[in-house]
Amino acid sequence: MAADLQGDGLTRAEGSGRPPHPVDRGAVPRGGDGPVHVHRAYPHDSAHLHVQGAASYLDDLLEPEGTLHLAVGMSPAARGRIAAMDLAPVRAAPGVVRVVTAGDIPGRNDISPALGDETLLADTHVAFHGQAMFLVAATTRDAARRAARLGRIEIEAQEPSVTVEDAERRDERVLPDYAFGRGDVATALKAAPRMLEGRLRIGGQEHFYLEGQAALAIPGEDGAILVHSSTQHPTEVQHVVARILNVPDALVTCEVRRMGGAFGGKESQATQWAALAALAARVTGRPCKLRLDRDDDFALTGKRHDFRVDYRLGFDADGRVSAYDVDFLACCGHSADLSQGVVDRTMFHADNAYFLPAARVASRRLKTNTVSNTAFRGFGGPQGMLAIEKAMDDVARLTGRDPLDVRLANLYAPGRDETPFGMKVEETDTLRAIMEGLERSSGYRERRAQVDAFNAGGGWLRRGLALTPVKFGISFTLTHLNQAGALVHVYTDGSVQLNHGGTEMGQGLYRKVAQVVAEEFGIGLERVRITATTTDKVPNTSPTAASAGSDLNGMAAKVAASTIRARMAGIAAALWGVDEEAVRFRDGMVAAGAESMTFADLARACHQQRVHLSATGFYRTPNITWDRASATGRPFFYFAYGAACAEVLVDTLTGENRVTRVDILHDVGASLNPAIDIGQIEGGFVQGMGWLTTEELVYAPDGRLLTHAPATYKIPVSSDVPADFRVELFPNSARQDTIYRSKAVGEPPVMLANSVFCAIADALASLDPGRPVPLDAPATPEAILNAALALGGGR
Amino acid sequence: MYAFEFHRPTSLRQAASLLGKAEDGRLLAGGQSLLPMMKLRLASPGTVIDLGAVPGMTGIERKGRSLVIGAMTRHAEVETSPVVKEAIPALAHLVSVLGDPAVRNRGTIGGSLANNDPSADYPAACLALGATIVTNQRRIAADDFFQGVFTTALEEGEIIVKVVFPIPSRAGYEKFRHPASRFALAGVFVARRGGEIRVAVTGAGDSGVFRWHEAEEALKGRFAPKSLDGLTPSTEGMNSDIHADAAYRAHLVGVMARRAVERALRR
Ligand SMILES: Cc1cc2nc3c(=O)[nH]c(=O)nc-3n(C[C@H](O)[C@H](O)[C@H](O)COP(=O)(O)OP(=O)(O)OC[C@H]3O[C@@H](n4cnc5c(N)ncnc54)[C@H](O)[C@@H]3O)c2cc1C
Repeated sequence: MAADLQGDGLTRAEGSGRPPHPVDRGAVPRGGDGPVHVHRAYPHDSAHLHVQGAASYLDDLLEPEGTLHLAVGMSPAARGRIAAMDLAPVRAAPGVVRVVTAGDIPGRNDISPALGDETLLADTHVAFHGQAMFLVAATTRDAARRAARLGRIEIEAQEPSVTVEDAERRDERVLPDYAFGRGDVATALKAAPRMLEGRLRIGGQEHFYLEGQAALAIPGEDGAILVHSSTQHPTEVQHVVARILNVPDALVTCEVRRMGGAFGGKESQATQWAALAALAARVTGRPCKLRLDRDDDFALTGKRHDFRVDYRLGFDADGRVSAYDVDFLACCGHSADLSQGVVDRTMFHADNAYFLPAARVASRRLKTNTVSNTAFRGFGGPQGMLAIEKAMDDVARLTGRDPLDVRLANLYAPGRDETPFGMKVEETDTLRAIMEGLERSSGYRERRAQVDAFNAGGGWLRRGLALTPVKFGISFTLTHLNQAGALVHVYTDGSVQLNHGGTEMGQGLYRKVAQVVAEEFGIGLERVRITATTTDKVPNTSPTAASAGSDLNGMAAKVAASTIRARMAGIAAALWGVDEEAVRFRDGMVAAGAESMTFADLARACHQQRVHLSATGFYRTPNITWDRASATGRPFFYFAYGAACAEVLVDTLTGENRVTRVDILHDVGASLNPAIDIGQIEGGFVQGMGWLTTEELVYAPDGRLLTHAPATYKIPVSSDVPADFRVELFPNSARQDTIYRSKAVGEPPVMLANSVFCAIADALASLDPGRPVPLDAPATPEAILNAALALGGGR
Repeated sequence: MYAFEFHRPTSLRQAASLLGKAEDGRLLAGGQSLLPMMKLRLASPGTVIDLGAVPGMTGIERKGRSLVIGAMTRHAEVETSPVVKEAIPALAHLVSVLGDPAVRNRGTIGGSLANNDPSADYPAACLALGATIVTNQRRIAADDFFQGVFTTALEEGEIIVKVVFPIPSRAGYEKFRHPASRFALAGVFVARRGGEIRVAVTGAGDSGVFRWHEAEEALKGRFAPKSLDGLTPSTEGMNSDIHADAAYRAHLVGVMARRAVERALRR
């Protein structure tokens, strides 16, 4: 019996306990020539370790002898010049070995992903409350944290910018304004039979990964350094550490086996802690570890962008839109970080699933004295989509039509299939089939009648129903990031080691890529050993982001495995005197005609014949171009689609609300792993629901974040998950040549939660049917009550 | 944690004397408020005196027209007690929406009252029911007991022994919970006993639990939710913080009061 490299024996392949759905996921290998391991529900690669508490996260790694612990000295003001910094009391505190400041940085004091506008440690000015000013290295974490509070810091403080309006008043931006569009919107608005104007405020969101930010840096010989980092972007950590330490990239290795959640919050935001650990390790010559306390993590790391959206919409009596003019004003925080791409993606999703004959999509990236807002699952897309969903609802109220009918009337369709940025929507049939399929399977029409009848009763409890689509563009809009590498070794016993540039954050990427490799070699999944992501195996990687992890790394691994397989097939063909094409790899065997041998025997034979059993694979997404300056091209390889129907019950006297039922139909192409994909859809939806309902970030006027722990910042928990929650995969196969015709699933489901926001608005609309509902996000009870009062209810 | 002295007296007298002698002594009941405060360094007593081994401080008993609850009685015991459900069901309901199971299985009524958190539930019940707080030294009427945020009439060295609740003819409690902490953003307890009607509000006021006299007057006409229609306390004196502003709290008090009356009438 072959050793079980994953340790889980995969005996619970059917363990998800869900109703059957269109994609076959039987536990037994299927007959014929069809795929064995892909399109099949396997548990997460570490599920057996997760449930035993045996999966090592960064803080679980054994610390090398002499490891020092770090804590960050934080700014007491949100904006101003540093007048004085007396760190003598910090140095004198018990257990403190070294205090590190900007002056200790051998290289450039710059941790920004691109623009050079963000310091590792503040040197002359501070730009947000809590900003890192110095670093304490001590013998224990407790000693370091106590000492970090003892700095005597004087700041010539100025009034900070906290809101969109503050930043507008100062006219401060982190990046230039940007706009694109089509047609003459002003004229089209004038010509439209009806016009509406609206304003929507959209709150930010804390990532609340369960594993906080952490890094461990271990100094090596000749200035080399190994950094363990809980990061989605090991290559960026490598680059920034090299930049800070002023050493070549080749001296820095960054490794990550797994993260306890990331959600975009460890794409650029993990770098600083890794760089601080590396700097301290360089200065002290000892291993150094930094793990942020949760409250500090809240205060120090960027979040989803909060927005004000101002829009004007032209439409006719049937609710068909002729023009959309929208301004996205994003609070970016104190530096650019990833705000260019994030807000661009907001703009790319300003249309969501709707054809806008004339459109002007404009954006401003405002500078606020808050943490630098960053990537968060959806990467700006959710805000763009929520705005147009709100606008669709407004149209429905003003025309008296069912919001679903307004949505269907505006859906992309053949001949009405070009986005405002000039890309053709190639799968309008999928979009419509999902909307109409869900309309049927959710029983939307009957339930609409029931909801309306209930609300006509006039009580203070109101029901709301909404069915909203999702169309989400897949690819990094920064085209060069759409590449990936993999490294595969076959050993002479036929076992396989797999490495690639993607990182595992709980989303199941490692498992999916292993399925691809097992498929390629025709061997059992337990024979494929998954190894930690590290910059010394696969270099120059892109972040695991943009939902593209499986698309990119799955393809790269497939290329690597098939390279080795071709070499092996050559040996078997020569041995048996058959054509290479006749050689089949399946069920642990290699065969051609009547000849066969085990995969392991062939691996041994290859080694005897001096055949190289290791290969790299490289993939770059074809068929994408985007020229930002001229706003032309095709930024996305394809779109992922989905739709959700949510029903809510709202107490219009208090604003309290409950999601009573959710139906989702979602397109992941031909799923690589339906169990993992359904998990992503459920999790993404619930996370989106939290963003739009209970998660509220509150800043004091002085720029301090007041909600920085679970007692004040409410994320959804299991009891908030809708009791009646039905998720189905839409039977589909990607039109583009993606990995086994699957589609990306990481981000799109977040935006399914727009249905919850719209359902709450729908419940409120019953208070005064003809008027747009003045509801902002998040729809907290207080916001809901205020909307109810504005509509003449609430009493 | 840091070092402190720990005592576990076995009589009330011993507890009182330890408390009297200690420089900076604090009683420990369920620890659900004291321990978090110590962890956050909002309290750092030099001596902690655990009431857990003092006999005679727990238990629920009906005595004539009163319900008597020992200070060390856990929330969960009140929640599930048939005696409470029979005598003052609103009290059992109040405890069922207090915190979470862990808190209810550790926290005590005495600790809650001594602590007088401005968002705590029990103070509203005591005030509305006109309870008497019995200490090792005296009897204190609820109207005199609660003196502001985290402030009570308790003197140094005074220990709550039990609480005596007159049994009302009707009572109801409604609470709007903060989704994260479960504490009241606004909680209203209404009680009617003979001709007397009392309405107590917790969670909303900026100086802790208070009686809403306007609502009491309105309910004297007729004890029905309708009597409170359109009635909302003034936003002045309402707490305003990151969880809710004064206007929202005031609004919630009005709604919770009507619902509390409704609930009181249901039985
Ligand atoms: C997560 C969480 C959620 C909570 N939610 C709620 C809620 O929704 N509603 C609510 O009302 N409360 C809530 N609480 C508070 C809870 O009810 C506490 O248990 C209670 O307030 C204190 O009771 P205790 O027995 O734990 O007292 P302790 O924490 O042991 O003591 C509290 C204070 O009272 C003093 N004290 C204790 N006993 C006596 C006595 N007999 N005489 C004199 N002084 C005494 C102590 O010295 C201390 O100062 C919550 C607590 C937590 C941790």
